[in-house]
Amino acid sequence: MLSLRNVAKTYPGVRALRGVRLELAAGEVHALLGENGAGKSTLIKIASGVVQPDPGAEIRIGGVVVEHATPRQIQELGVAVVYQNPTLFAELSVAENLLFGEDGAVISWRGRAAAARALLARIGAELDVERPVKDLRMAEKQLLEIARALGRKARVLILDEPTASLSQQDADRLLDLVEKLRAEGVAILYITHRLEEVLRLADRFTVLRDGAYIGTYPRSEVDRARLIQLMAGRDLAEMFPKVRVPLGETVLDTRALCHEPSGVDNISLSVRRGEILGLAGLVGAGRTEFARVLFGLSPATSGAILIDGKPVAIRTVGDALAQGLAYVPEDRKEHGVVEALPIAENISLPILRRLAGVWLEEPREEQLAAELSARLGVKAASIYVAAGTLSGGNQQKVALARWLATKPRVLILDEPTQGIDVGAKAEIHRIMGELVKEGLAIILISSELPELLGLADRIAVLRRGHLAGILSAEEASREAVLHLALEDNAS
Amino acid sequence: MVDKTSASAATPPGRPSAFARWLPNAEWVLLLVLLAEAVGFGLAHPRFLTLDNGFEIARLAAEVGLLAFGLTFVIKTGGIDLSVGSMMGLTAVTLGGAWSLGLPIWLAALLAVALGGAGGALHGLLITRLRVPPLIVTLGTFSLYRGLAEALTGGSVSYTGFPASFLALGQSYLAGWLPVQLVVVGLLFMLLWVLLQRTVFGRELGVIGHNPGGARFAGVSVASVTTRAYVLCGACAALAGVIYVSRIGQAKADAGLGYELTAIAAVVLGGTSINGGRGTLHGTLLGLLCLIVLQNGLRLAGQPSEIAGLLTGAVLIVAITASRFLFQSSARPAAADESLSNPDELTMKNSQLALLIAAILGGAALIAVSNVFLARSVTEAGSAAVQSARSASLPASAGATSVAAAKPPAVRTVVALTPKAKADPYFVSCKQGADAAAAELGVDLLWDAPTDPDPAKQTEIVEAWITRGVDVIAASCASPEALSSVLRKAQERGIKVISWDADAKSDARGFFVNQATAEGIGSTLADEGARLAGGKGRYAIITASLTDSNQNEWIKFIKARMAAAYPGMELAAVQPSDGQRDKAMTEARNIVRAYPDVKVIIAVAAPAVPGAAEALKQENRRDVKLTGLSVPSLCKSYVHDDWIQSIVLWNTQDLGYLTVRASAAVQDGTLKPGATSFSAGRLGSLKVEGDQILLGKPFIFNAANIDGFNF
Amino acid sequence: MTSLLRRHSREAALLSAIAALFLLPLFGVNGFYAVSTFRSLAIDNLPVLLAAAGMTLVIVAGQIDISIGSQFVVGGIAAGLLAKSGLPMPFVVLATIALGAVLGALNGLLVAAARIPAIIATLATMVLLRNGVLRATGGDWIQNLPAGFQWFGLPSGVAQVAYLAAAAALFGAFAWAMRNTSAGRAFYAVGCDHEAARRIGLNPSRQVVAAFAVLGVATAVAALLNFTRYPTIETNAGLGFELKVIAAVVVGGTAITGGRGSPIGTLLGVILLGSIGTVFTFLHVNPAWEKAIQGAILLVAVVADTAFRKESARG
Repeated sequence: MLSLRNVAKTYPGVRALRGVRLELAAGEVHALLGENGAGKSTLIKIASGVVQPDPGAEIRIGGVVVEHATPRQIQELGVAVVYQNPTLFAELSVAENLLFGEDGAVISWRGRAAAARALLARIGAELDVERPVKDLRMAEKQLLEIARALGRKARVLILDEPTASLSQQDADRLLDLVEKLRAEGVAILYITHRLEEVLRLADRFTVLRDGAYIGTYPRSEVDRARLIQLMAGRDLAEMFPKVRVPLGETVLDTRALCHEPSGVDNISLSVRRGEILGLAGLVGAGRTEFARVLFGLSPATSGAILIDGKPVAIRTVGDALAQGLAYVPEDRKEHGVVEALPIAENISLPILRRLAGVWLEEPREEQLAAELSARLGVKAASIYVAAGTLSGGNQQKVALARWLATKPRVLILDEPTQGIDVGAKAEIHRIMGELVKEGLAIILISSELPELLGLADRIAVLRRGHLAGILSAEEASREAVLHLALEDNAS
Repeated sequence: MVDKTSASAATPPGRPSAFARWLPNAEWVLLLVLLAEAVGFGLAHPRFLTLDNGFEIARLAAEVGLLAFGLTFVIKTGGIDLSVGSMMGLTAVTLGGAWSLGLPIWLAALLAVALGGAGGALHGLLITRLRVPPLIVTLGTFSLYRGLAEALTGGSVSYTGFPASFLALGQSYLAGWLPVQLVVVGLLFMLLWVLLQRTVFGRELGVIGHNPGGARFAGVSVASVTTRAYVLCGACAALAGVIYVSRIGQAKADAGLGYELTAIAAVVLGGTSINGGRGTLHGTLLGLLCLIVLQNGLRLAGQPSEIAGLLTGAVLIVAITASRFLFQSSARPAAADESLSNPDELTMKNSQLALLIAAILGGAALIAVSNVFLARSVTEAGSAAVQSARSASLPASAGATSVAAAKPPAVRTVVALTPKAKADPYFVSCKQGADAAAAELGVDLLWDAPTDPDPAKQTEIVEAWITRGVDVIAASCASPEALSSVLRKAQERGIKVISWDADAKSDARGFFVNQATAEGIGSTLADEGARLAGGKGRYAIITASLTDSNQNEWIKFIKARMAAAYPGMELAAVQPSDGQRDKAMTEARNIVRAYPDVKVIIAVAAPAVPGAAEALKQENRRDVKLTGLSVPSLCKSYVHDDWIQSIVLWNTQDLGYLTVRASAAVQDGTLKPGATSFSAGRLGSLKVEGDQILLGKPFIFNAANIDGFNF
Repeated sequence: MTSLLRRHSREAALLSAIAALFLLPLFGVNGFYAVSTFRSLAIDNLPVLLAAAGMTLVIVAGQIDISIGSQFVVGGIAAGLLAKSGLPMPFVVLATIALGAVLGALNGLLVAAARIPAIIATLATMVLLRNGVLRATGGDWIQNLPAGFQWFGLPSGVAQVAYLAAAAALFGAFAWAMRNTSAGRAFYAVGCDHEAARRIGLNPSRQVVAAFAVLGVATAVAALLNFTRYPTIETNAGLGFELKVIAAVVVGGTAITGGRGSPIGTLLGVILLGSIGTVFTFLHVNPAWEKAIQGAILLVAVVADTAFRKESARG
């Protein structure tokens, strides 16, 4: 269906891709794997016509040779891309997003609504087609993107990290949908960092590394370890090595914490020095919302937060900082770092006032930043380059360094390894291990169950904003967590 | 506090050079432009590169500068404040009002600045708490503040007679050469510079501009920091209003009209990103200087202000496009491919070089363009030879300080006339007469004014003429208070000064070319109005803008005359036309509907009379009579069709003619104080009463005589 | 019904405000409620309405244009000079509209190709055009226009009705097209998200240039409908025109951030802001208050809107 041969792309000073090929057959799920920076995104952009390859490449869609095609023309040939961050029109309705540009010159709103409902029904999603998309949840937006691609009669569907921001349950639904589409004869190119997913789904695997084509392998030839080795070009130690440290006294304690507008309902938890407390739950279960309450981003409407057993008031981020809390947010690009600023200024941001009061003291600031980025192994030319130029993993390290600079006692990590490559992920895990050794308490929010199961001392499971249960490392298993997270099993 | 040596010893590798850190946004391009301007104008006019002129430039930049400094803080957060000019108006009125109610002047000034801060706090509140976009909030307060200023004063009240100690702020020179407000603004600049560049607050502003969400997650109190930026901006605007009042000597609702655009242009030109984040205060200063120096240099070169306007627009586009190209690389990563995330991306030596060349070429092109304009306008004036001879001979005596020494005897007299507004048909016809007289006498005529009446801008034009060293300045004063102080300064420098059309204070000029007194105009208009109404009934007045001082003066005398001589006449309404015909038509139509018994309309602005006539014609209201003050050519057809019964005016061409004649006579000594008559070329001998040269009584044009006039 | 009201809360609020405003003269003198009052209100506001329709498109596309006051007067002067040169009126109209499209597209190119933020680019062209006009005309009005210029030679009563009909047709067609054609929706898409628009095959740069060009055309038509009301052309016209237009669009509920807005809301905004002055004159209110009240209305409208949105998002 889709065939790319001898694809190369050179940007000024950078060879993003060279000699890449990819064959995608109808009724196949084909996994495209590679660490961040391996060239997957560039390949997708070329396949979808957003970027033109260097001369010499040969692209065929359904047997037709395509040259210098616009995104529109490629779409008309039946290729649709579902991006990691859904690119929808926030102000426009579900129906309009689904069928944008599908009508002729004049739009029939009634016909469009009916067609939209039919499309959504096909993928088993129930959405009000008149609602503006900005009111939808992330998972709903993801479904909408897929429905839109199907609406375009896509014969080739490119899914770029579709489950990255979905809960396990939503992700499972999506994977079911992918299987269903495969059965219908759609050719699917699937890009992900979650190896379990592609090991479950994919028929063939193509691996890229540093812009170069490594190879294409049928399912029978690969397993998890082999894929990791192919992607990294080296063998990686076991994933999720848990560092066992003796637990200290309780640092943070919440008593019946509530935040009504975001649905955080009556959560009582505690975390001890040296402990990693996992926070599990479906997307929308209130994990991030709970973290926001702790960090003063949305102050609690009732309940109490105790630090070292003493009740404290946390109404603002400043209060949380003063109490020794730190929060590495989920959305790295929007909240974790300020992309336009140099690494040094990113790291010193929360402690500027602590460093020097009213005045800036750049030498001290830079010294501190240099120390921390060296400690965390941030790979950058210097601490003066903009954080936006870094890879996801390095950005995450900068976001982490920023909070270590505050010398926190409790560190909240919200999806710290989402969308970053395997190597960087391992390093983040190593750093977490070091931190707990130093006596830090960590609250780890993750949608990747193996990560939680591997790292956490205890796992608190949230469901619909309240605490469904807490599992010790021994009790915790995939099934046990899901059992608590899913509503129908509620006691 | 910090051990400097150990800190510098431990300086991490890869630290950008001081140059890159202090001029991160290609501000050095502006330095080049500034340099190019300095060289270009310095060559074009010897007096440009003098200390005197430097201070003058700085003095005139003070108010816009204050606005721009405040705006830098706001724009750095990604916001904008369109209301700063209006805030100047509101503070001017507050200051004047509070003072006239008996508050000590400095307390009133303090109150005004506090009001500015409060206005800024309101912006901050609406923007941070209610999440209304800054553009919208300040578009609303742009109208609201100016509207309040007008409402509080009815538009027409202006406060004058401030104590000398207060006026010193805007008019005096420390040690005889250093302008006071320059010291104030200079100190404030340093303070603000430290605040923006060297404090945590300043850093946080930029972070908010880059990414408000990220700032909040990093513990920055976004709402409070943003609000403080707006408060600061409001207070700066208010202080600018105070300095404005002190410089102009009067407090009126129209202070700072249109200043916001220049200020925003300066900030953006200075490298501050309109989207927030990037920007330095010294960049803003450079941007501001580029604009102000351009204006000043062109004025010294005798270029009309619209050339400066054209070039300002061009500079804005060129400079920003240039810096866009420089920053294209850093703007890209957001959308770029991950494999493009190369740390070396910001060091693009080749493109920097290219930009450097482009900037130099751009600067050169600007100078070239301005010279082309110079040459063309000189040819147009028909005195190319003399002009070039003059500029060629001047550099030789560039060091000379006195006006007389700088002027070789063979050179022709330069007469500079400033009307109140350039785009007003009334003054356009005056210029025809002035041109005729200049050609007859062989003098060089400079003619410049703001587009619309604006005492502050008019003052700036006269200041430039003083520096340039003209022989005679003849001013039609948009505000006697404002112009008199600068005209006095001109006299001190040995320039002959007369006033025409609208008088200055009598000590600030030699003669006044008096076409008609305000009382004469008002009475004549009242007489005409009463005659047309049959001595009894209601009348309505359409004025220019509510803040126009001349019109307000005339209206005062119309009312007085009506009350005294025609007790049967009753005033229905005074409506503003903003000097625009469109609005005059709407207003006239509304008047005849809302006041059905109005018998006569008196329109006291040149565009308002034809506007009102068109309204009557379209409404077909033969029963309403129309008279007013306008130019015959605009009204001729309406007069013939009897929509306008009469217009009151003098011969405007003769007024311009007489003014130039009188200017030349004052210069060559044929017209001296104490003269009782003056021979004015084609006008014959005219009477001189005291220090007033009388053109004659206002003339009433009507269907019978209007065809005899061609202006 | 409630969802309909909720979806059109801004329109409903504006309608009530307009109704209240138009009821005020009941307590003043008579003479307001006459066909002729409303007709001339409409005629006076036609230029603002047409330009505001174009501005709605530009703001929906995520841009802004503050140079239209200058474009407006340039259009008028061009029409006048062309008519004076003896060109028949239909050609004058076409040439003026073409000029408007060019001026608009120029702004669009500065924004889309030279990547200058719209507010800055159009600030520059505003200053350029305004000073260019002053340079070219010296402030002199364009006079001695051919007889066929004013009202296209029609009797003024007939012409007014014709103007109203023409403007209503143009505006209606425009509003319909913006809502119901793929071409119209493309501007919404671009205003929501450039990247998303690019991915579905739209060219955001082209859309931006097109939006500015459409506004240029709308402004040129507005200039034609305005300046042909007179036998001469004032060269100082259009000062502050852009602010009037933008205020009406914003009061009408178009989001300055792009992607949301409707010409119908704009129509209501124009009616509300454009009628205040006239109503006040009939109420014999001191005109000095007019500007302050317009500013207050703008603030109240957006503040109320944000408050309502917050409320409904919560509930």
